[in-house]
Amino acid sequence: MINNPKLPNKEEVNVYPLGHSESIKVYENKSDMDIWNAFNKGDEFAFNYIYRMYVIVLFKYGCQMCKDQSHIQDCIQNIFIDLRRKRGSLSEVQSIKSYLFKILYRELIRKSNKSKEEICKEPEKIQKNFSIEFSQETKIIHQENDREKFEKIQDAINKLTCRQRQAILLLYEEGMTYKEISVAMDLNEVKSARKVVYRALSTLKSLLQKK
Amino acid sequence: MNYKDYDIANFITDEFFIQWIKSPNENNSHFWEKWMAQHPEKRAMVNEAANLIRSVKYAHSPEFTDKMYVETFEQILKADNEHSSVKNSKPTPISSSSKGSFLFFIPLRGIAASVLVLFCLWAQYEAFNYRPEPVEKAEIPLIKRSNLAGQKSIIDLPDGTRIHLNSESEIEFPKEFSADFRLVRLKGEAFFEVKKEQRPFLVESGSTKIRVLGTSFNVRQKTNEPLYVALVTGKVRVDAVNGDQVILNPDEMLVMEKDGKFSKTGFDPMDVTGWKDNYLVFKSAKFSEVKKKLELWYGVNITFKGNPDKDWTYSGVYKDEMLENVLRGVCMTSGMTFKIDKKQITITNPK
Repeated sequence: MINNPKLPNKEEVNVYPLGHSESIKVYENKSDMDIWNAFNKGDEFAFNYIYRMYVIVLFKYGCQMCKDQSHIQDCIQNIFIDLRRKRGSLSEVQSIKSYLFKILYRELIRKSNKSKEEICKEPEKIQKNFSIEFSQETKIIHQENDREKFEKIQDAINKLTCRQRQAILLLYEEGMTYKEISVAMDLNEVKSARKVVYRALSTLKSLLQKK
Repeated sequence: MNYKDYDIANFITDEFFIQWIKSPNENNSHFWEKWMAQHPEKRAMVNEAANLIRSVKYAHSPEFTDKMYVETFEQILKADNEHSSVKNSKPTPISSSSKGSFLFFIPLRGIAASVLVLFCLWAQYEAFNYRPEPVEKAEIPLIKRSNLAGQKSIIDLPDGTRIHLNSESEIEFPKEFSADFRLVRLKGEAFFEVKKEQRPFLVESGSTKIRVLGTSFNVRQKTNEPLYVALVTGKVRVDAVNGDQVILNPDEMLVMEKDGKFSKTGFDPMDVTGWKDNYLVFKSAKFSEVKKKLELWYGVNITFKGNPDKDWTYSGVYKDEMLENVLRGVCMTSGMTFKIDKKQITITNPK
């Protein structure tokens, strides 16, 4: 299925290397599988499209796991270099975004010589990975009295485990399906992704009950 | 389960619903809009669920700049020809056994479901109990703090905001902020480190309002002087009395005249905000400025004897320094002399 990454403003397009905006036109109505196949066959427009559509969200996602921005930039560079080298023998991909999220996640783990547990260590860390901002911008104007409730939710949300926050962010911020979340989080089954989300929301509830 | 039997917990975990909120397209919009029209009683719940979904954001979201975009793209293409680095960039596949460690979930489906039901009941309760708050419950007592010349103070507000109040300045704030906003009134000069939260923070200085969420900035309004708002971090909006609005970015300073005319400039942080860290700063200051600053800072009275040198200016920075040492520094470069008699200072220019 095709995700809907936010397209940049029209006037921004010119600053990007030639051909990127054209690639968007060619590919925006194709399925992820078709685009991936074209890329696998060596179609440069398909590569441009993939880069154009996902590099910014990849970077943001990477920044949730590591504070060193240039390190994330390097990792993103590496995964694309590696994908280009493997063209011709790439396996099928149903959701490009979640696949890229997965390989970036693996690359960051590999580079940091840390285990998956360590990269997600919490909660003592000063700057938590995958920290969530629970923002209610439109709401504050209209329903001020809801504020206290939302503060509590915000509090509860940031008491979730790192993996739970990761799943919630993939679901709500990235708008991924459970299938995509299971790919991005390197889980074996879709069921597991659902479990993480359901658990997160139930924890939220129990925290809120405690008051 | 049919959508009409959905509670809020069902909605916030339903991928088709989330897809509609996050990335509406013809297909899902058509479905949900039609569904909403058929089930108007569910509208409040759907709104609640949609709000919750939209509110979850990355706390840190650094920008991938255009420069980074191009740089990375070029590096990737360049690497096509450099096979020597293949070994370095080849990811080692993670063995599937390492995945096991994440699957330690106890099968809690039943429990989770019942808790979700509770969650939904609570959420519904909250949703139906929405009632606009009475505008003014009771008069909240105001607290006033002021500094005389020679005094500076730090005031910590109940919301976590810290105010550095300068000499000859006054700040007024309620004992408890209202649910809607945090309003303080300032006369004189203060540096604000505003605690970020939902309620906007408003500084009223004269007839001008400065509005922020979480940020640090300096406000200075002395009698017969323009208003200066210097932003260090974050973002502020200044609402002038004539309805003009100015947005300030970090390192920008707003200078607003009494008649509402304004301009934006840069500023020297040391010069403008150094006072809060006890830096006494003179930057090409004329004698009148030096005199005024010293009087304020040390709470003294300075008289001048002799002929003033019109071209004389003074630059210097002092931290936690005694008045005597500052006067020594000021006078050393100019050949002036000084005499301290308690709070009365006399500076003499023998030339």
